[in-house]
Amino acid sequence: MNIYLPIAEMSVNAALLLGLGGAVGFLSGLFGVGGGFLLTPLLIFLGVPTSVAVGTGSMQILASSVSGAMAQYRRNNVDVKMGMVLVAGGVVGSFIGVSLMRILRQMGQFELFVSLCYVTFLGAVGALMLIESVGSIQRQRSGQPVPTRQTGQHSWVHGLPFKMRFHRSKLYISAVPPAMIGAFVGFMAAIMGVGGGFVMVPAMIYLLRVPTSVVIGTSLFQIVFVMAVTTLLQAIENKSVDVVLALILIVGGVVGAQFGAAAGGKLKGEQLRFMLAALVLLVCLRIAWDLMVTPAEIFSIGPLIGGTL
Amino acid sequence: MMRSAIIAVMCLCMALNAARSSAQEAEATPPPNLPPPTVVTPPLPPMETVEADISTRSLEVTTGFTGHEIVVFGAIDNSQAPKDDAGSYYDVVVVVEGTPFPIVARRKSEVAGVWMNTWSITFNSVPSYYAIASSKPIEEIAGPAVLERHAIGFRHIKMMPAGNSGVGLKDSQLAAFRSAVIRLKHRQDLYVLEPEGVDFVGRSLFRSTIALPANIPVGPLVARTYLFRDGEVVSAHIARVTLHRAGIERLVHNFAFVYPASYGLIAVIIAVLSGLLASMLFRRKTA
Repeated sequence: MNIYLPIAEMSVNAALLLGLGGAVGFLSGLFGVGGGFLLTPLLIFLGVPTSVAVGTGSMQILASSVSGAMAQYRRNNVDVKMGMVLVAGGVVGSFIGVSLMRILRQMGQFELFVSLCYVTFLGAVGALMLIESVGSIQRQRSGQPVPTRQTGQHSWVHGLPFKMRFHRSKLYISAVPPAMIGAFVGFMAAIMGVGGGFVMVPAMIYLLRVPTSVVIGTSLFQIVFVMAVTTLLQAIENKSVDVVLALILIVGGVVGAQFGAAAGGKLKGEQLRFMLAALVLLVCLRIAWDLMVTPAEIFSIGPLIGGTL
Repeated sequence: MMRSAIIAVMCLCMALNAARSSAQEAEATPPPNLPPPTVVTPPLPPMETVEADISTRSLEVTTGFTGHEIVVFGAIDNSQAPKDDAGSYYDVVVVVEGTPFPIVARRKSEVAGVWMNTWSITFNSVPSYYAIASSKPIEEIAGPAVLERHAIGFRHIKMMPAGNSGVGLKDSQLAAFRSAVIRLKHRQDLYVLEPEGVDFVGRSLFRSTIALPANIPVGPLVARTYLFRDGEVVSAHIARVTLHRAGIERLVHNFAFVYPASYGLIAVIIAVLSGLLASMLFRRKTA
């Protein structure tokens, strides 16, 4: 059954979209990640305009993170004060990202910029995860104890002004680093159509030394609010949120995530991280390949957006 | 007697020319009927005219829209063709054109190992859709000058670079952009060529089926029908069909573009509610 998407202005097979949402939902349930980094490129491969894929992606991520964030909040796993700082930064970053997106679209460089962002971040995060998971699998095989993270270490982060007390995280640190991290994630979210958890979680653990128990909940808290703002801004600035497309993806994603979570319970953490790293690197290589290989068609056409630059 | 005969022939010739040129220049107005000749010397058959219509006047683009086929049909009045063989005597060309829009064409080149857009040109008005159906390939029907005058055929689509866009480009580069636009539109099924797409029925009727793809931009479509004889346009006719959004499709699209802030807010609410609903449904199932 084909369905005409009102904003993407194309006719797509609804079953294919449901399947796509389901598959991405399965993987995100399996690995415990948002899945935006898979969904947005897949939508672009499918022929959805890059801007609509990114804008609609933020709406889908909002829907898939809201229930998780609620559950974490109920279990008291959210550092609300830290979350607020992250959100404040995120909103600024998102605003910059959405505005930059409009300018880049006018210049005809948006697709390139998105691809470069994907290659950079997926490449870096994928490589780090791969090294880490291979290392811990090897350590387990050789019977060595897995080293645990040491708390209470001081780094350059602790020398900055505007110190705030984050009770839930048991931290007394400057508000600048969390705001910067939030802003960076908000910017990425707007440009790449991702939640940004894969950058925010490691940054909070390694840079801010937030206890692991509150990291997931607090990052979900940030993602929900920043994604809500991003969806709103994308709708206003770029008119690139397709509600019909998002709803189909949400339905598929919700069902897929249930199966994914069930399947994920049967696998070991290191194995999951290794598979996720491989998947991230595959997506990265695919996008890099498209950038570097001589295109079959060097010309492209598009609508004129708000005057030429 | 001799003088009046010459005058009569001259009058006839002028009237004929006027009728032909008016048919060629302004397709919007049907060619005026020939004024009755003052002197009835050698009886000339009346001029052929063409009349055409489209199978539908308006088409709705709903969420279920997967494209549509329209039929442009018509008749040649005063056909002088022998019975059942209008095709040997006349040629009919049907051009269906969408609203012109400005578009940007871009060209990639390799910069530091990465392919990126480096050249761009803005065309002021490019038909969003352009289908051409003819009773035989248009090159065999008329010469390039005639085709150019009526914008018949991909090569003769009116497409001008905007203002200062394309300054510094050579003619050959401009031509490459032009043909790229047509090639890409053709690949998207938005520019359609049916060299044998017009069928004659009997000595005066013809029909042509034209496929509108699912990705056709909404708006009015103009169907121009040309009647050719001996490589010249003898008559032309215009019919219209309008594609407009309808149903949920229309509601969503209009809402998104007219009230973007409210639309965004509702998108956020929908996302939050569907996320919460989903978690409720599955918790009940697993609990």
